[in-house]
Amino acid sequence: MSFIWKQLEKMKTIDTKGLLCPKPLIMLKEGLLDMEAGALLRVECDNDTSLKNLLHFLRDQGVEPEVSSSGNVHTLITSVPQKELEGIDAAAYCSADSPGNDYVVCIKSELMGSGDPDLGKLLMETFVENLKLQEKLPTHVIMYNGGVKLATKQSPVCAALTELEDLGTRIMLCGTCIDHYGLQKDIGVGMISNMVVITETLASAGHVVNP
Amino acid sequence: MAKGMKTAFDLLSTVEYGGCSAKLPAGLLSEVLSKLPVSTDPRLLVDVDTHDDAGVYKINDETALIFTTDFFPPICSDAFEFGEIAAANALSDVYAMGGTPLMALNLMMFSQEKIPMEVFGEILRGGHQKVSEAGALVVGGHTIDDHPPKFGLAVIGTVHPDKLISNAGAQPGDLLVLTKYIGTGALVSGMKNGICSQTDYRRALEQMKHLNRIGAELAVKYGVSSMTDITGFGLAGHALKMAEASQVSFRLRTAQIPLLPGAYQVFDKGSIPGASFRNLEFTGTKIHFTRGVEYNLKMLVHDAQTSGGLLMSVNPDHAHQLVKELNELDPTGGGSIVGEVLMKSPRTIYFE
Repeated sequence: MSFIWKQLEKMKTIDTKGLLCPKPLIMLKEGLLDMEAGALLRVECDNDTSLKNLLHFLRDQGVEPEVSSSGNVHTLITSVPQKELEGIDAAAYCSADSPGNDYVVCIKSELMGSGDPDLGKLLMETFVENLKLQEKLPTHVIMYNGGVKLATKQSPVCAALTELEDLGTRIMLCGTCIDHYGLQKDIGVGMISNMVVITETLASAGHVVNP
Repeated sequence: MAKGMKTAFDLLSTVEYGGCSAKLPAGLLSEVLSKLPVSTDPRLLVDVDTHDDAGVYKINDETALIFTTDFFPPICSDAFEFGEIAAANALSDVYAMGGTPLMALNLMMFSQEKIPMEVFGEILRGGHQKVSEAGALVVGGHTIDDHPPKFGLAVIGTVHPDKLISNAGAQPGDLLVLTKYIGTGALVSGMKNGICSQTDYRRALEQMKHLNRIGAELAVKYGVSSMTDITGFGLAGHALKMAEASQVSFRLRTAQIPLLPGAYQVFDKGSIPGASFRNLEFTGTKIHFTRGVEYNLKMLVHDAQTSGGLLMSVNPDHAHQLVKELNELDPTGGGSIVGEVLMKSPRTIYFE
């Protein structure tokens, strides 16, 4: 216990009390500059808007601060987020700078493999469920032909695909295929796209995974 | 001439936040507006229903009237420039419908006890100059005593009913063209917090003063299918309103969005105005970002713009020629292709 208290005492503290938005965030970002990822940092603030904005920034960087409040003073204890990696931006998505690194999953059918269709369906569902658990997530999941049926609200993997989307993977659906199967009203997840975008995405993918 | 006699009074000292970032949160506003009775007169071509930029009333087969207003607290220190920006911003709603402004009324809230009267005159002078530049007339106005000051205009313009450009006409397959540069809110915040250069701040002021006139003229010439102007709800918020009104989804590429020099750096240092967070709360899960879009860009597409540019939905056969002409005829505003219109998807805006 005393060890933890010592750690807490040593902890760098950013005191933003009495300051209005955006000053607290400016001070937090300044404070993070010379700190190692994973180190602990304390931020104090005394207005709710600033607290909300600080939390939004930190959560977006992938850390979950602990907040304790006494009166109108809020204390955040957070670990220092990983620095954003250089080059992982929209431009890098469209170029094939790092082949083999980024990957796109291409779902062409409701079924995985050929043979027993019931088995194929089960396999595909299990595949999608497992996809979201991968340490390295795909940049895109492209779904065409019968594959778009997996993106309907009724699909057993709609929730898994939505989770994947919330984690930042772009679920991309073939609009022509949706029209063909008459599923316009049933789509529950994904961006309804076209062959121009799909071709471009496949052509610039690091590699393509075909389940 | 434009910056004629400078008044020493610093208008920015009167406000905590100004310009379009002083708007009420969009979500709160929609909730209240949705409870008002809706006018159903057939002469109303555009009403509040689609959250468009102005009301449009058909007088006859040749002419429709565009009617709009906008006003806000000071966005800059200099009174004359504040007048220019407020006027350019109010006129923009007429341009966003493809119209031509005709007349304007000044709306002023000003306390003579708190601010020297010369400042009042300078604000009006700046507004007049901008309205004249637009080829329209100031025909009066109204002032009440209030502090901090607020200034804006009610503007009337006209458009041929068949040439009217609403925010509800975007077609899947269209390309999205954006004029002007994003980041005026960022640079005003950067200036207040002493973390942007005078040059970058001046560039933002020039953007805000710049009329959307040529952009609107070219939009009419090329028959764009839909258009809106980007103000307090940010690029993301206004794109969302346009896509919802058109019952489509948009795909926008952050790498193609033109940013004012210095805007990114201001956000990177954490000087992000509260308006960005409010706008982000409004767009919520209707907007999707791919993993590659970093925090500063997410916040910049939500940056509240004052007197921002036009977002147009354009047939792909014309989009490149339109952009070329925008950059030739209106180099200050310019134009870029920033995305495309998709069929209505579960989410409304997809950023990457």
